[in-house]
Order: sequence, then structure tokens, then C-alpha cells
Amino acid sequence: MTALAPVLEMRGIRKAFPGVVALDGVDLALRAGEVHMLLGENGAGKSTLMKILSGAYRRDDGEILIGGARVDIESPRDALARGIRVIYQELTLVPQLSVAENIFLGALPARRFGVVDRRALHAQTARLLADLGMAIDPRTRVGRLGLAQRQMVEIAKALAADAADPGAAVLVMDEPTSALTAREVEQLFELIQRLSSRGVAIVYITHRMDEVFRIGRRVTVLRDGRVVATRTLNEVSVAELVRMMANRDLTDHFPKVRAARGPELLRVEGLSRRGALHDVSFTLHAGEVLGVAGLLGSGRTELARAVAGADRYDAGEVRVSGRVARFRGPADAIACGVGLLPEDRKAEGLVAGLTVARNIALPHGRRLARWGVLSARCESDLAGPITAELRIKATPVQSVRLLSGGNQQKVVLGKWLAGRMRVFIFDEPTRGVDVGAKVEIYNLMNRLTAQGAGIIMISSELPELLGMSDRLLVMHRGRIQTVLEHDAATEERVVSAALGLGAADDRGTSHGVVG
Amino acid sequence: MNPARQFGTLIGLLVLCVILWILSPFFLTVSNLLNVAEQTSINAIVAVGMTFVILSGGIDLSVGSIVALAGVVLGLALRGDQPLALALFVALVAGAICGLANGMLVSLGGLPPFIVTLGTMSIARGAALLVTEGRPISGFAASFRLFATGRVGFVPAPVIATALVYLIAHLALTRTTFGRYVYAIGGNEEATRLSGVAIPFHKTMIYVVSGLTAAIAAVILTARLNSAQPIAGMMYELDAIAATVIGGTSLMGGEGTLAGTLVGALIMGVLRNGLNLLGVSSFLQQIVIGAVIVVAVLLDTMLKRKHAV
Repeated sequence: MTALAPVLEMRGIRKAFPGVVALDGVDLALRAGEVHMLLGENGAGKSTLMKILSGAYRRDDGEILIGGARVDIESPRDALARGIRVIYQELTLVPQLSVAENIFLGALPARRFGVVDRRALHAQTARLLADLGMAIDPRTRVGRLGLAQRQMVEIAKALAADAADPGAAVLVMDEPTSALTAREVEQLFELIQRLSSRGVAIVYITHRMDEVFRIGRRVTVLRDGRVVATRTLNEVSVAELVRMMANRDLTDHFPKVRAARGPELLRVEGLSRRGALHDVSFTLHAGEVLGVAGLLGSGRTELARAVAGADRYDAGEVRVSGRVARFRGPADAIACGVGLLPEDRKAEGLVAGLTVARNIALPHGRRLARWGVLSARCESDLAGPITAELRIKATPVQSVRLLSGGNQQKVVLGKWLAGRMRVFIFDEPTRGVDVGAKVEIYNLMNRLTAQGAGIIMISSELPELLGMSDRLLVMHRGRIQTVLEHDAATEERVVSAALGLGAADDRGTSHGVVG
Repeated sequence: MNPARQFGTLIGLLVLCVILWILSPFFLTVSNLLNVAEQTSINAIVAVGMTFVILSGGIDLSVGSIVALAGVVLGLALRGDQPLALALFVALVAGAICGLANGMLVSLGGLPPFIVTLGTMSIARGAALLVTEGRPISGFAASFRLFATGRVGFVPAPVIATALVYLIAHLALTRTTFGRYVYAIGGNEEATRLSGVAIPFHKTMIYVVSGLTAAIAAVILTARLNSAQPIAGMMYELDAIAATVIGGTSLMGGEGTLAGTLVGALIMGVLRNGLNLLGVSSFLQQIVIGAVIVVAVLLDTMLKRKHAV
């Protein structure tokens, strides 16, 4: 067996951007058929390393060897030709085209005059999808698929390209499960197993420890652009890995501090929005973290957006501190002290070209300005203490574009800390955020509730919801399936409620809590 | 936004000047440079509004027609023996109303700016032709002509007007909430909306600014020609877009500066002047200017690619 000889090796890779050394002599060796986990806090250099592998960036120094021979990867084309496939976090499908058209976009089977041979295309796609164990109709328009299925199509696309090429030798996946449900994750893992048994080396980037141990064979931990260690996974513990990543002990992932429950801040009654929300009612009290669980498409995000004035609703009522609030837009909600941290920080949370200070000051222009004029330092004066409090690793005058995910998320949080908010709606506050920053966000939530704020936290990560919530609201198909007090919330109960099991009576028992 | 980028445009302008200085003895004379500044002023002023619009992620194709319509309104008011101040006021209001219509259709109607302003371009031009029956209006008082021929010291009035417009607009763009929202809307409209910024109002105002600067340009143009012509301002929108883009403003919105736009307008003005001095045919001039636009943006894109990643 040549299993131990690396199929691909990166040696002494260096890459610097203006002002930052992103990678400083990184070594990575991939063996055929292994699932190699790549760990590290955001900004540790994982993405940069993978972009060098895929030809998106050029390395400043170091070498790449395939099968022991030095190769130059100067462009994504080179990488493809050498059997390197990368699936990025941001999906790259064209929603208007069908599954089959997306998968074979670069190599559509054509007849004379460039007319696409649909029959061949669909047969080809069906074969590929069946081979990968995916139950998706090749003719479906991608825009109609859920996120998880799109991810599957993305993987199929990456693997399809090898039909004409030497074959996919290396597959890179960057947090592929961040948008998937538990069942879909299982499907993905089965697929990964199948690919690795065919000899494909898989690089898997994730923040989830359970996944690391579940499917990984070896792990490489990056920190500040250097390799901390490469280890075989059965020789290493979670605590060790976390320590390597963060270089500090994190014994308690959920440093929850319970605050005294104060008066009612928010009361939502009968909130409905056609096709998204049905008769949703709940209350939020001062000092409370109300967790919202549910699968993708269960109406979690729609609920958050409706309450925060970002979307309209057809029926129902929102009361803030007892008074009926009619939000015509986010501005009204903000004026009432309701701030939303949106699900997708790049698309909805940040203006990438603006500086840290200007992003933080964005919701507060009216308060900061006199007659519309902003004085020279008012924005940095506002943002300065907040960047310090949140330990944002950037100066207020830096553009947010170049910050790591964790720091970007802190900037979005900072927008609301700068105001006098009483109700915080956090939609996936720790998605794509490294362990250290996660803990800081949890501590921030503790501080806010201690000061008498109420927090609604939506999350796909169950441990986080169970660890941080005082009450847990589980949604299913736009309705509240159940509400669980902290001590009654278990993983099984939440999961079964999210799947729509054990609905009505559970709801009955907790109706008093729903209010 | 990006100092290196601006420096690049400025160097481009200086290199251009040096080349013309070597090639033509007339280029680097006080009178010629003042001439360039004066000729550049109209495009430079129109480009101010265009910069606001492009920064916000939009485009305004109607500015050339607004120049004509505002000029015609001005001409009619002057010929109707209205006081100068009132005539100027109605001309500016005419420009602002065109901008208001653009802005409301874009922000409240949710239509693409390209389509809306393409429509307004035709409507405003048609209106200018209709009210004048296609004939120029001329014969204005000497006092009005001072907007083009007047001087303060040795500086021509249009140059002073340009400086004032740039100063005010620059302050608005960098020191006011409105200016901040222009960048924020262009950078990420949804994030800006979720931050509680009233998008429809600010977007509308951005087009009003564009209509206003077009009307200011119309005043200077009408004074210089000593006549208000319904066919004036043809293709001004393209010159303004070119100046903005050469000046480093991203057509995607969110990035750029007025200083860049001013340099962009000067590059176009100097180039035209230089080519005239060198006796280059006007047909060839068009080719050269087109090439400069493309090369400038090409350099810009290459620079950004190098810096961004």
C-alpha cells in the first residue's frame, strides 16, 4: 500500500497581504483516501491556504508537490487540471438554471450548432447523482432547491468535472454542514465516506468538534498562519485541540450566567405572514435569553425579521414594554430599542467598504449628527469604546472587508451596543465564528441580560441553544411547536419538536409560558 | 477611500500635462490653462451629481437632457423679463424636479435606475424641444452673461462656481449623515436598511442632487452660449460617467471620491484641449478619448486586483 505516501504536499507555504502575514511557512500533507480536518480560529489562515491550493491566490513562497513532483498552480484552471476540487462556503450555482445545467455548465453536451443535447445532459446527470446517492431531479431549477440540496449539487458539480480529467484527487470542503439539518449532515458524511474509500483525499474545514471526531482521520491545527500540529485523531482529545487552536484553556464553552427575570419587554401575539409564520405568540422578559430552535425553513429567521421590522406581517401584534408597536421598517424598531443581528452578516450586516467605526455608527446617524452634519470624530468616539469592549482586533478606521469572520460579527454586534437597545434579536450570532470569539459573544450576552436587556437567540447549534437559553422556543413549519423552560429542555425534546413530533400536548402543557 | 488609487489618477493627469507641455508650446500658458479649467467646468459640475448616483450604486443617463431642459426654462424665464434670481431659481427647481422624478421611480417604484433615467432622458429632451418648438432662445441681458464671462481677479466665474460646487458637495459627502448613507447604500443596501436608514428618502435625494448639479451646469452653459438650446447637453451623461469612472469611482457603488472625479474631469478636459492644440482631427479625438477611458479603468481594475487580495 502506498497509503502513507502523500498524494499532495504543500511545503513552507507563505503568503502575505498588505499589513498581514496570512501564512508563514505552512506544511500540509494529504494522503489518498483520508479525511483531513483543518482546524483553526477565523483568521488562522485556513481559507488562504485552501485558496492557494485551488489557484485563487498565488503563494509568495513554498512549494506544492503532487505525487512527489513539484507543480505550479497558478490559476484555478491549473488546480482543476490536477484534480483539485474546492467547494466554497459561498455557493456558486446559477439559480435560474437547472441542476443538470449547473453541474455541467462548463461542459454541456452539445449537438450541431451548439444546441444542448438535453437528453444526454439529463442522463449524464442522473447517472452522476445516483452514483453519489443523491435523490435530486436533474431538471429542477436550482433556485427552487433548499440550501442543503444546493450544497449537494455543488459537490456533484465539483466531482463531475473529473469525468474528462484525470479524476478528483483532492476535495476541499469549507464548513459544508453549516446550513444543513442533522439528516442532511448524515447524507453528506455517507458521501464523504464513499469518496474517501475511492481514494479521494478530503480536506474538511469546520468549527464543529463533533464532526472532527466523527469523520476525520487526521487533523491539522493552524494558528496565526502557522501549523500548530498535525495529529492522528484517535490520539488527541477535544480539550487538546481547542487548546491548540486558541492557545488558552476553554473548559467551559457556555459560560452562562442567569440574570434576574425582569418585566416584560416584548409580547408577540398571533403574528402571521402568509407562507412563513402562522399565529406565533410569545413573550420576552428583561434579563432573559429566549432561544429559538427549528430546522431551516421553520420560520425562525422570518420571525426574527418580522419582529425587528425588516419584513411586514399580515396579522398579529407586537408590543414593546406593553405598548403596541407598528414597525413600518427597521428604523421604527430601532427607535423602540429593538435591534436585529441578521443571519447573513456579509449580505445584511455589514457595508464591507466602510470602516469599522462607520459601520458601528450607521444606525446612529441621526443621534450623532447635528443638522445632518457629522463632527470630525463623533463616529470614532462612539466606536472606540465598543471595539475595546468587544476586543475587535482592528482599529476604528480600518475597512471591515479585511477582518476575520469573528471580528466582522463583533462589528455587527457593536452596531447595537452603541445604541440604547433593550431587545436584541441575534440570528445565528456565532455562525462561522471561531471558538474564542464565540465565548466572547456568550459573555457579552451575559452582560446584556445582567443590564436588563432581553435577547432572542436563533441558532442551528443545539448545544449553544441549550447552554445559553433561559427558555427555548421550538419552531416547526412557521408555528411554535413547543416552549421549553431551561431545565426541561433536552436535546431529544428539542429535536423531536423541531421535526414536528409530539406537538399539540407539549404545547398545551407549556401554554402558560407562551403567554 | 483609497489614497494610492487617487494618487494614480493624479499622476496620470500630470504625465498628460508634461507630454502636452513638451509637444505644444501653447499648452502651459496661463491663458490656456484657464481656458481648460473653464471648458472643464460644465462636465465637472455634472459629474458631481453623477458621482453621488454612481456611489449609491445607480446611474443617471438623464443629466444631459436635464441640462437642456433647465437651460430652456432659464431662457424662457429670462426672456419673460423675470428677475435674474427668480430665473435662476426656477431653472434649479426644474433640475431638482427631474431628479425627484428619477429618484422616486427608482426608490419607491423599485425600477432599475438605467431604465428610469433612460426614460427621463427622452422625456426631458422632448419637453425642452416641445416648449421651444425646437428653436434656441437667445438675447439675454449682459448681467446674465457674467456667469460665463465674469472674472474674479483673473479666475473665470465658471471655475469659481465649480470650486464652490465641489467644496459643498465634498463636505456633504464626507461630513454629513447623507454622505455616509450614499456610500452605505452603494456598499450594501440591505445592511443599511436593516440599520434603520430610510432608504427611499435618501435614494431620492441622491437623484435630486444629480438633477441640481445638471441645472447648475445649464446656467453656465446658457450664459456661455448666450442662448438656451433644446439640443444642448447631448452626450453629457457619457462625459460625466467617464469623468467619474476615470476618477476611480466603482460602478458597483460604495467606493470613490469627488476629488477623483474632479481629476477625472480634468483629464478629459486637458486631453481635449491638448488634442485641439496639436491639431488632431475631431474624429481621431473621439477614438483617443474612448481609449483613455478604457485604459484608465483597466489600470484601476488591475491595481485593485493587486491590492484587494
